[in-house]
Amino acid sequence: MAWTSQQSARLRLEMEILSRYFPSFVLKDSIIPGRAVVEGAMRSNAGHEYVVRLRVPADLPNSVPIVEIVSPVLRDRFGHPLVDLGTSYPMHLLKPENDVVRICHYSASHWSPNITFSKVLLKVRAWIEAYEGHLDSGFSVDHYLPHMEA
Amino acid sequence: MTPLVYVLEDQVQELLAHTRADEWIEGPAYAFDDWTVFHAYTEKPPFAPAGSLCRCLYTRADAAGLVDEEHLPHSLDITREPDGQPVLVLVVSRTPDGLPACQALLVTASGTTAAAAQFVPRRSELYSRNAGLLEVSALGHKRVVIVGLGSGGSPVALELARAGVGHFTLIDFDRLELGNISRHVCGVNDLGRYKTLAVRDQVLQKNPYADVTTMELNVNQALSQVEDAIGASDLLIVASDNDQSRFNLNQMSLNTNRVALYGRAITRAAGGEVLRVRPWQGPCYNCVFSAGVGQGREEEMSQKRQALSVLPAYVEEEKVNAMIQVGLSSDIMPIANMMVKLALVELSRGMETGISSVDEDLVSDFYIWANRREEAYANWPAMGYKWTHPSILRWYGARVGRDPNCMVCRTPLAAHLET
Repeated sequence: MAWTSQQSARLRLEMEILSRYFPSFVLKDSIIPGRAVVEGAMRSNAGHEYVVRLRVPADLPNSVPIVEIVSPVLRDRFGHPLVDLGTSYPMHLLKPENDVVRICHYSASHWSPNITFSKVLLKVRAWIEAYEGHLDSGFSVDHYLPHMEA
Repeated sequence: MTPLVYVLEDQVQELLAHTRADEWIEGPAYAFDDWTVFHAYTEKPPFAPAGSLCRCLYTRADAAGLVDEEHLPHSLDITREPDGQPVLVLVVSRTPDGLPACQALLVTASGTTAAAAQFVPRRSELYSRNAGLLEVSALGHKRVVIVGLGSGGSPVALELARAGVGHFTLIDFDRLELGNISRHVCGVNDLGRYKTLAVRDQVLQKNPYADVTTMELNVNQALSQVEDAIGASDLLIVASDNDQSRFNLNQMSLNTNRVALYGRAITRAAGGEVLRVRPWQGPCYNCVFSAGVGQGREEEMSQKRQALSVLPAYVEEEKVNAMIQVGLSSDIMPIANMMVKLALVELSRGMETGISSVDEDLVSDFYIWANRREEAYANWPAMGYKWTHPSILRWYGARVGRDPNCMVCRTPLAAHLET
């Protein structure tokens, strides 16, 4: 299976938007639908760098992309790896699939094809600030980021 | 009561054309009501039959139209039938006018009794009572794809079969569970079966000549297969229970330029809506449900699998269970019925039929229905005697257009790059 022409156009559009707002993000393994990822670095206000990976769904743009923090290894305020939490409501985390932290950004009930990767990464950027807030204060991520209504 | 035997006229015609006068053909028959009613076939029917299996033999009458009834019990070795059950013998012939005729006999060890044979009419006559309102022969050639064979999609399939639509592709990966029965066209004898196959049997009960293909798969995981099926059809009907499938099907309807009808109920089936997508001419599914009038209208959750697929994994089981709030079958039927009306209008487009005027009424592409004054309709006034206020149990066509910012049907998509 290959990307349809609409999906190819959408991927080009996504990367064009990212080049403006998240210029470090690049498209990898883009030939085969289901294997393509968009990966790049984000820097927090405190200057820490995070490598973020967005898995492009094979049915782009009709389902929620998986987003993971590839590095560094994230730990909570007490030093425990975040990935060990698995699915976590207070930390906005979903069950990890690749031993890296997976962020909950949009639920399927709130997803629409109008949402771009750029909007998703904006939420990830906010999650990173909330995570660093957790490291400073001990409050969980959802203290800073309220959940969307189910 | 004289025993009654129903036999398909087309099968008898086939038999008359291809068997010798002295040849015996064995086919299945099914007995009902204490062996007083029989359904006979020359070959195993394509749907799951009911009733008690009964031995049935066909033969052609000789040139004089006679059969040796006296010697039938001996020649058929009737003593080998369990519990003395009768053997059904159908003697087929042609009348002097060339029409098929059938004489039915019930043969037991103690003798032979006559039964009344009735033909299930030929394909061309089955829907003769629809003639005038519908272009029956044309509908017989139409192809519909129905995705989702639950409480919404299954009655749509059945109604289109009743109207004489001839070709169906039924797509669903779900199986019929106990909780489905109260709202589904299929019953307890179909429990555990794929909904596609169970509904196929129901369709064939209404139209034995229908051509029904089934696909037991998840549309979100078989995109190209499903798009091929839609491309080979005249109309797409979407009664699935999640937005991901509807977004995918929306894209396929645009890609293949096929009109699509979407129906869904809102929470507890307090109401519902039907959307018609005329590719590139009217709004697409994304125009209406991502940003338009449909946004925020919460869909009915009828089973746990459906709720789990849209909720984040950390939502407590208690909350997931609380979201499963179903309405009555009678609350779903108006939505299914509207989909059928729109389907028949679309399938009859270009033909002069008795429902052509309905096309003049159904100018909107988005219709809203309320079953009860709750949820989105909580502020509506009571129906009373007023015609001028919004009310439950009436359809409302909403004026919706294409969303100029739609990320799916705005063409060319690359125009976004300019902004």
